[in-house]
Amino acid sequence: MGYTLQYGQVTPYLGYLAGGAWLALQIAAVAFLIGWAIGLVCASVLHYGPRPARWLVRAYVTFFLNTPLLVQIFFIYFALPDYGILIGSVEAVILGMSLNAGAYMAEIQRAGFASIRRAEIEAAETLGFSRLQQIRYVILPHIAKVLYPPLSNQYIILTMTTSVAAIFGVEELTGRAYNINAQTFRSLEIFSIAAVYYVVLTVIASAVLYAIGRFLFRIKGKVF
Amino acid sequence: MAALLDELPRFFSYYNVIFLAQAFAYTAGLSLVGCGLGFVAGFGLAVLRQERVMRFAPVRILALLYVELFRRIPFLVLLMVVFFGFQLAGADVPMFVVAATTVALSAAAFSAENVRAGLEAVHRNQWDAAETLNMGGLRALRLVVLPQAWRIIIPPSMTYAVGLVKATSIASQIGVAELTFAAKILNQKGFSPALCFGTILVLYFVLCWSLNRFAAHLEVRLAPSRSR
Repeated sequence: MGYTLQYGQVTPYLGYLAGGAWLALQIAAVAFLIGWAIGLVCASVLHYGPRPARWLVRAYVTFFLNTPLLVQIFFIYFALPDYGILIGSVEAVILGMSLNAGAYMAEIQRAGFASIRRAEIEAAETLGFSRLQQIRYVILPHIAKVLYPPLSNQYIILTMTTSVAAIFGVEELTGRAYNINAQTFRSLEIFSIAAVYYVVLTVIASAVLYAIGRFLFRIKGKVF
Repeated sequence: MAALLDELPRFFSYYNVIFLAQAFAYTAGLSLVGCGLGFVAGFGLAVLRQERVMRFAPVRILALLYVELFRRIPFLVLLMVVFFGFQLAGADVPMFVVAATTVALSAAAFSAENVRAGLEAVHRNQWDAAETLNMGGLRALRLVVLPQAWRIIIPPSMTYAVGLVKATSIASQIGVAELTFAAKILNQKGFSPALCFGTILVLYFVLCWSLNRFAAHLEVRLAPSRSR
């Protein structure tokens, strides 16, 4: 006992911390985009691909879903250099997060593909839609509406996951909190502020994603 | 690759295997204790959020706030807050307690959502019927709603538990002797990182995959019959 919280000592660093939050958002965005692309390819293979390719993709998804992201990045960051693949810490984190998110998003998007009913396609064919028109007017709007909530949820999760980058010395939000902690020794103060930053960050992201979903896809339900 | 194979017998020596087995047990124990406590707390939170049980609105709002806040704090940051929180409060507790508390705090928020979803999946009429029979909120929950809701609650909670098993790897940051930390130690002893981290990836996979299979099995097994 006898410890008094002194938030005054860390307030000069709030702007520095906000810069870290910006970097965290960028890492999350890049990892999300790459992961989304990986997920899209994997989901297509899982749904339409030949059998051996399906097995490979299933193995990738199952492996990445059942092992911790931190250890995956450890492996990428520490083990790959032994085999001549040298990558920096930010790149390693982004690569790990993308591969991990890719596995999750493969599962999500596979479910999206599965949600298209045969009758819908048949109805479009009856109306004389070409294959492209079917994709443009029937499949995409349907898939987008089904996939938007879980994918935006994934983005929020990725934003929080970026904190793992601090372990590899990336100076994002948590990394900068470590730095400030090392300078001021006001540990509880700075980490509780970092926690608040994450809450604010994800609340804003949720609100924006909700508004976009509402506007673009008329999704009324709760997003995250 | 050949160098890796040469290293294998040295890596899987008697003491290293025991060391890894202990770390595996530590990870499993930490997850079990953390998730167990977290689920109980989360269950309480979810019940407190039910208007029929808790009539006093501020408590409901507090429970909601807890859930919304703690779901949005990354595990690593929460770990640091708990770690320094214990330290500055002058409580000299073992690292296991720090890690388990963090898992529990985080698990409570997530399982509260799962439990709430389960409770809300039970039709409102069931609550009304119970009220007509002059049951109080808690009694209705225990005798009417829970017997129907638990089937919906358990499978997603298991899936979240797997997520928390994976999150415990971050607890290596405060130096609890779980799997990731064990791999780091072995790596620092000079074994190649591919072997150290590869081995624990497999161990994590065994743990999480079997839990996930079990959750999937439960989901089929417990699926409530739709016929009424």
